Amino acid sequence: MTDRFAYPQDREARNAARVRALEALLIEKGVITDQTVDKVMQTFATEMGPFNGAKLVARAWIDDVFKALLVTDTMAAVAQLGLPTGAAGAEGEHMRAVANTPQVHNLIICTLCSCYPWPVLGLPPYWYKDPSFRARAAREPRAVLKEFGLEVDPAKEIRTWDSSAQIRWFVVPERPDGTQGMSEDDLAKLVTPEAMMGVAVALPQAA
Amino acid sequence: MKLQHTLGGLEGLDPVQPEFRVFVEPWEERIFGIHTAMMALSPQLNLPQTSSTFSTVWTWADLRKGAEAMNPFDYFKYRYYEKWLGGISGYFVANGYITQAEIDARTDEYLADPAKPLPSGGTPDVDDRIHTYLMDGDSPWHQWADKPRFAVGDIVLVGDPPTVEHTRLPGYLRNKVGVVETVYDDAFSYLCSTGPDGIGPAMPVYCVKFDPQHLWPGNAEPGFSIYADLFDAYLRPVVDRAAA
Repeated sequence: MTDRFAYPQDREARNAARVRALEALLIEKGVITDQTVDKVMQTFATEMGPFNGAKLVARAWIDDVFKALLVTDTMAAVAQLGLPTGAAGAEGEHMRAVANTPQVHNLIICTLCSCYPWPVLGLPPYWYKDPSFRARAAREPRAVLKEFGLEVDPAKEIRTWDSSAQIRWFVVPERPDGTQGMSEDDLAKLVTPEAMMGVAVALPQAA
Repeated sequence: MKLQHTLGGLEGLDPVQPEFRVFVEPWEERIFGIHTAMMALSPQLNLPQTSSTFSTVWTWADLRKGAEAMNPFDYFKYRYYEKWLGGISGYFVANGYITQAEIDARTDEYLADPAKPLPSGGTPDVDDRIHTYLMDGDSPWHQWADKPRFAVGDIVLVGDPPTVEHTRLPGYLRNKVGVVETVYDDAFSYLCSTGPDGIGPAMPVYCVKFDPQHLWPGNAEPGFSIYADLFDAYLRPVVDRAAA
């Protein structure tokens, strides 16, 4: 019987060599260029990423009208903030934000694959793609959040959103206590990708 | 129905792994970049022609079909981007861009000399198109003149169409009853026809709320609700249920 869970000893070296072989062949055959992969990664470092989402959340924290628009017409709010063009680009053409409140905690999942709002959150971290997370968050979100170190008050309702069609979701976390008087830029620094997916809350103000 | 279609709610799994990195090995960036380039260069998009030799369709649906076709044990065995590497390499071989012998031989070369440089080549129009795709996206939105079949508050029964190679209907919702929470504006198409599964052409999409106690009686946490975005083709009026 084959051991289906045995990995070759040189697993990562072989993966690395194989992807390099593929990239080399695709450049030689004229499918992509020698700049393609680096340029794609550059776009995610500068134009599409969690830095955009953090700006949306920070603005929502200081502007109730903007916050209301962000949850009722997410794309209109994104357009209003003057983010880079890609802020409504690939994997974010149709986004919907849900706001945490003292009564409700929101959690975004994708049980079928790994749908994630690229323009405002960048690329999904490994935890989001983990089959255990995807399976368990649907049935026992509190237990899963506890494993992330987040205890949700039992009196709070959890809403789990499964991204099964083409809407891409993100969470507007609650503004942390003790952040009165902070600038919008400093507020944005408190917002992590995890907070915008609902497995964490926004960080309290750094001491 | 495959395990990959019905992950939601699966029992007996391990604790989650709070791994916050996007890439855990440097090579993973490369396959991500290749996949994104393929999507951007796919010929069905309304974007300028380039010098790229890529001439076959590649969308998320193709990547997902590959993952859904995997032996479920392999699906759990391989890391996320390992699955991508397998699916994408196989696609380039199956579509005649490269041969298996070429990639095997080249893999051995890079295994022996990981520092061996990549070849040079290509013109900027290719990368310009990829950037345009990332900035503009590929909206599946379509105008829709008809009234959607369901309204907010309607009780709906989720269908159970056959899954052939691809579906956007999570297994845990099949044959279950929910309440329409949102009727999205107009209509959305899907990236390909899923055949008897029922999606592809533009149709309304709804966000439907489900009670976890109905989905997993006695075996779901209290105090939460689960919502899913579902295409019109997946939903039935609840009267169908009584007639069934």
